[in-house]
Amino acid sequence: MTAAAPASRRPAKPRRSPFVSVGLGAFVIITLISLSEEWGIGLDIGSLLEDIGRGLPIIAQLLDPNWDFLPRVIEPLIETFQIAVVAAFIGCAVALPITFFAARTTVPNRATLAISRGILSVVRAIPDFLYALIFVAAVGIGPLPGILALIFFNVGVVAKLLSETVDAIDTGPIEAADAAGSRRTQMVRWAVLPQVLPNYVAFSLYAFELNVRASTVLGFVGAGGIGFLLRTQYQFLQWSNVSVIIICLFVIVFAIELVSIRLRRRLV
Amino acid sequence: MPAQRPQRPSNLKRNLWIASAAALFLWASLTVDVDITDLASLPAGLWAILSEMFPPDPAYLANAVPQMIQSIQMAWLGTIIGAALSLPLGFLGAKNVSSGLVSSILRQFLNAIRAFPELILAIAIFIPIAGLGPVAGTLAIGVHSAGTLGKLTAEAIEGIDPGPVEAARAVGGRGLQVQRWGVLPQVLPELIGFWLYRFEINIRAGAVLGVVGAGGIGFLLDQTIKFGRWPQAGTTILVVIVATIVVDTISGAVRRRIIEGADVKIMPEAEVLVDPALAAR
Repeated sequence: MTAAAPASRRPAKPRRSPFVSVGLGAFVIITLISLSEEWGIGLDIGSLLEDIGRGLPIIAQLLDPNWDFLPRVIEPLIETFQIAVVAAFIGCAVALPITFFAARTTVPNRATLAISRGILSVVRAIPDFLYALIFVAAVGIGPLPGILALIFFNVGVVAKLLSETVDAIDTGPIEAADAAGSRRTQMVRWAVLPQVLPNYVAFSLYAFELNVRASTVLGFVGAGGIGFLLRTQYQFLQWSNVSVIIICLFVIVFAIELVSIRLRRRLV
Repeated sequence: MPAQRPQRPSNLKRNLWIASAAALFLWASLTVDVDITDLASLPAGLWAILSEMFPPDPAYLANAVPQMIQSIQMAWLGTIIGAALSLPLGFLGAKNVSSGLVSSILRQFLNAIRAFPELILAIAIFIPIAGLGPVAGTLAIGVHSAGTLGKLTAEAIEGIDPGPVEAARAVGGRGLQVQRWGVLPQVLPELIGFWLYRFEINIRAGAVLGVVGAGGIGFLLDQTIKFGRWPQAGTTILVVIVATIVVDTISGAVRRRIIEGADVKIMPEAEVLVDPALAAR
């Protein structure tokens, strides 16, 4: 973004594009509808401020964690970690070949591209906990449905991010590979993959981070990990125990993020 | 010196990384409490569910559509709350706007907010305050979004051209005036792109929060699937998928239109992930 060349006279203000007016109008209307009691969620700041006192006793209990509960948190926390690791590895491995069917650079056929991108956007439109609900119904409760759900979730995220990276790569090596007479698979292996490999590893680490965060939701529907314990403690209003779970989760998410940022910095 | 094939660089470090990653995967997959034979029941189980889901119950649209609209409204308002909070946080978190100390403290604060998923914010803070319902979910989405958006905003501001800021100072602009005329116009298109991107993510969060009673279609998904009301579940799932794809498409088109001419950042998070300078912060 560079500054415009200086003009000797003040230039006329450009007319506002109709796109901006329509956009602003739509923004205001949607917001008002969403705020309203009748058509929307009925968000009223005034009554909210009055209600703030209601939450204080609970928040006070949350600030007083019951550390005796800690031993019971360890095992589900390890399970959460295991689920996240297994799902991230399998999901990212599956996502890699799929990516090359969903990137413009590697798929010359428009129809194939449209179909694979369509499937990917459906995979991405289903939220993680919905996969979990369906797999719990299919194979019963436990870590298995959690792993299956996160595999789908990771395939969606990684294939999407990576196919966009592949779209933006330098086409020189591809031309070189074509000129040297390589087949499509060889071209992908030697001209595309080396260019996107660091990004692929970075996205996989990101998927792993997302998995640890998602584990709270999974357990709520019976798909293993710390979320199940969270749910029971929450339902019995054991706020001091809930607090311990949240703190442990916070520490593990934070630690994983730190490690993963370090790793990514070395990679790229 | 005659031309010589250069020596292959050592792969030792890389191989060590690969070996430890493989060991981690092996450990996790061997110790996790999964009976692999359960997997055998997966195809039959999925088939049973899918065959009962189709045809979906069209009458259930009357329940599913209003709930999905509520999810979208939660995402919309949550994004607005997040964007509004993230502006001051982002400006103060940028090293070139505030002092180094303030910005590092704020950055850590933003990281801390981001570490709490919406679901946790909802059950631990906002349901106790606002009660069950979409208001709690909206506030949870808003606060979590403020964490991510604040970080992205600060990073965008740190990447600006200092010229306009100096110009604004040179003509006598003070504090907020410099930010308003020297900084904001430079980052606004990018910020609007971030907000829309966050809105797309929040649509998914808006669908989840119903599981804990914080509003939206998640409640219907949970109930219909748990009680095996498959035709109704099928309708609900289709509504979620169609609505999400429609919102993604519209929002993506608007983003492309707004940042036309500039680099189109389809997923700003990806940008941050692969740019080591950004990831380091």
